[in-house]
Amino acid sequence: MSEQLTIGLEIDGRPHTEEIEPRTVLLDLLRERHGLTGVKASCERGVCDACTTLVDGVPTASCSMFAFSADGSSVETVAGQSPGGVPGPVQRAFAECGGFQCGYCTPGMIMLTTALLREHPEPDDAQVREWISSNICRCTGYQMIIDSVHRAAALLKEESA
Amino acid sequence: MSDRPLTSVGRTKRRHDAVLKTTGAARYTADITLPGMLHAKVLRSPHAHARIVSLDASRARATPGVRAVLTRDELGETPGYGFFIKDQPVVARDRVRYAGDVVAAVAADDEAAALAALAVIDVVYEELPPLPDVPAALAEDAPELFPGDKPPGIVPPYGTGASGHLWPRPNVCYEFRYATGSEEVWEGCDHVFEDTFAFSRMNHFHLEPFVTVADVRGDRVELWSSTQNPFPLRKELARVLATDESRVRVHVPFVGGGFGAKNNCKTEPVAALLSRMAGRPVRYCLTTEEAFLTLSQHAALLRVRTGVMADGTFVARDSEILLDAGAYTDGSPLVAEKACYRIPGPYRWEHVNSTCSAVMTTTTPAGPYRGFGATQATWASESQVDMIARRLGMDPYALRVKNLKGLGEPFIPGDGGIDSDLVQGLDAVADELGYHERPAHPHRGMGLAIGFKDGGGVNKPAQARVKVTATGEVYVNAGSVEMGQGISTALCQVAAEVLGVPAERVTYAAIDTDTTPWDQGTNASSGMVVTGRAVQLAAEDARDRVLAFAASRLGCAPEALELVDWGVRKDGCETVPLPSLVAPVFGGTGYEFTGEGFFKAPNSAEAPLESPCVFWEIGWAGAEVEVDPDTGKVTVLKLVASGDVGRAVNKLVCRGQDEGSALMGYAQALFEEMRYDNGVLVNGEALEYRVPMAEDLPGQFVSITQEQGHGPGPFGSKGAGEGPMVPVAAAVANAVHDAVGARVRTLPLTPERVFHALRESAAAPAE
Repeated sequence: MSEQLTIGLEIDGRPHTEEIEPRTVLLDLLRERHGLTGVKASCERGVCDACTTLVDGVPTASCSMFAFSADGSSVETVAGQSPGGVPGPVQRAFAECGGFQCGYCTPGMIMLTTALLREHPEPDDAQVREWISSNICRCTGYQMIIDSVHRAAALLKEESA
Repeated sequence: MSDRPLTSVGRTKRRHDAVLKTTGAARYTADITLPGMLHAKVLRSPHAHARIVSLDASRARATPGVRAVLTRDELGETPGYGFFIKDQPVVARDRVRYAGDVVAAVAADDEAAALAALAVIDVVYEELPPLPDVPAALAEDAPELFPGDKPPGIVPPYGTGASGHLWPRPNVCYEFRYATGSEEVWEGCDHVFEDTFAFSRMNHFHLEPFVTVADVRGDRVELWSSTQNPFPLRKELARVLATDESRVRVHVPFVGGGFGAKNNCKTEPVAALLSRMAGRPVRYCLTTEEAFLTLSQHAALLRVRTGVMADGTFVARDSEILLDAGAYTDGSPLVAEKACYRIPGPYRWEHVNSTCSAVMTTTTPAGPYRGFGATQATWASESQVDMIARRLGMDPYALRVKNLKGLGEPFIPGDGGIDSDLVQGLDAVADELGYHERPAHPHRGMGLAIGFKDGGGVNKPAQARVKVTATGEVYVNAGSVEMGQGISTALCQVAAEVLGVPAERVTYAAIDTDTTPWDQGTNASSGMVVTGRAVQLAAEDARDRVLAFAASRLGCAPEALELVDWGVRKDGCETVPLPSLVAPVFGGTGYEFTGEGFFKAPNSAEAPLESPCVFWEIGWAGAEVEVDPDTGKVTVLKLVASGDVGRAVNKLVCRGQDEGSALMGYAQALFEEMRYDNGVLVNGEALEYRVPMAEDLPGQFVSITQEQGHGPGPFGSKGAGEGPMVPVAAAVANAVHDAVGARVRTLPLTPERVFHALRESAAAPAE
């Protein structure tokens, strides 16, 4: 057996200390040890980005990041977007605008949108397209996702007002 | 009651799966774990075609953590599987037929241990000549992929004009023919045009992998699987596992995309056999790279010969389609049937003669793919319509309108009437595009095309059950799988409408083949019309039982009563809440009123495909392009795509289906394809295989969900989800022709192909 590493990280706001093998990837740590199956595994080589989480606020393909690289980081997953089981504004926007179909890319898209709207609270169409272009959706044709992002921006604005 | 305004159907309701999917709480097969669960991986052939000389898995069996190893030695009498033809072995026996063919399977404590065991399986191959494509497979001296006795298969009892043949010639697993009218009409044609086309193949690229968790305990086989057709899967698995169908139980959680890939056996036989051997649950999940080796769309070569009169009147069409079926037959015979049947398009003909052969090659097996043969057929058919128009000096729009079938006209003798106004649909797209006012511009042009397919599945039956609790909560039990298309939401809206309850009070029950009513499968856009009619009938049955019960308690006729938000109203008077009537009879703990429904289009010996088509799924597309004459690069400035859903039960869902399918066709038109180099797949993974991203969207992308109102489904609905994909590639190619006078006959329209077509057209500007 390979040596174990000890890392500390925050997952959806809660601190954790983990004993891991060096080969453990962040995606597996989240899904298998923490039961965070909302983080989706698909291409597992950082292309489709269904596994997008925010690592210190940056959208990251968790399938392509070793868990030890997240040592000392704050990791946000889709599960943290609905505290107390109440869907957050980005999730409500996707639900309302039909910005999902099979749902497999949805958690990643929601995390991507969360990061986008933190950086650009009122993005224009070009910005939304550019950001969303890092994740694959095979179902929607993207337009209803783009609508959802704009709606999320409006909901967040309402909420902060 | 029937006059009451609709309250659920037609509304833009939030989808029932919205909260689960946006919060990441939705459960898919890939998320399921069972106590003691093992993980399976398989060894795949590195050769396109080879004889297995020897196979030694003894070191794999001795690898730490390995619990079961499946090779041809363990396979025994286990039969092969397939749709019409049972040719695909669970693991290879004497030969491998494509690079990626499954040779051995291992179940171990984790995937790493399984992979370590696969690495020490010793296989000695003797390479055989590959059959990299259709021409190679049909060459006179080509080796046979299935020499000697052919795998067993069936031919359905086709009706007038149609016939099917198993293994009609070497390396052809199935040939379907359809003919109607006298061939003598060819002699009277003023012009006969013959053109050939090539169609590329795409991967489905569903984001949830192919995955199964199988748990074989004693004589029971229980599976959770990412499948589109749990009932045919149950039947096929029972045959493969040599057990009774009633011993096989299939659960289908949410499916993360299918697009046709997830029909019949994929990961299930390996998972079930390994679980039976190990006595423990087995999870078998493929990687994206393995998905490229599991199933694809059909590449095709198409030849279309069309006879017309000088004024543009269509007379006769003779078509020959060669589908690349890959190494195993999977759904190829069915796709051959459909491609062949659909290639005349929705036009008036005096004579039609079509054949389609499914040709075996040493490439990834091809099978069902959104559009199901119609995409291939329409690429050729609708490209040629534009080519003919230009040769005759006619406008392509006018040539179409002149020859299109009218509303209600049968597609061909014995089949159902066309249930969309085709011209109305074409006008919707042409007007949105500004087709008739398109300015003359040296490098810009517009093109139109009509996608055409029968919808609802061949001869498909579906059953459904609707339960209503004592407090008016409703359950819809049906076998249509929610894989993103929104069918669970739409079916709940149908039940809500019939029962007069808010759609939010309706639940789509989990699919479990032990209890879910039978359904042929979630394909052919059949969910809304076929399963939908069964759900509607079940809801009406439940409603009638409720009203009969209430009438008996109130001492009136059921006809005098109306259901209103789980109360009954008599002749417009005060509403009596149902719970107050139920409790005294059935007790205070509860009761469920249950209704059953069944729907199937009636069989007919005259219908070429056993029963008349349930509905016609039409897609219209229009594109405006700009072509760079120096590079051949095509830029789509505007894409308009439209389907006719009869009536939109849920507009949000219909829009999603229209746009998603149109973008798939758009990608196929411009860049998406599995690229083979002499039979070797060179881009079989996510990075090199390009699916459309948001940045690939056309400059403007407009979808139009038409509600023409002629559908046979609940409340006038028709199926959706395939139509708008089908015509997009031809519309783009037609626009390129309009723009620069160059015709591209091979997909996708890469800059290289367009550039060469430009040079050809410059050399021979006759067309």
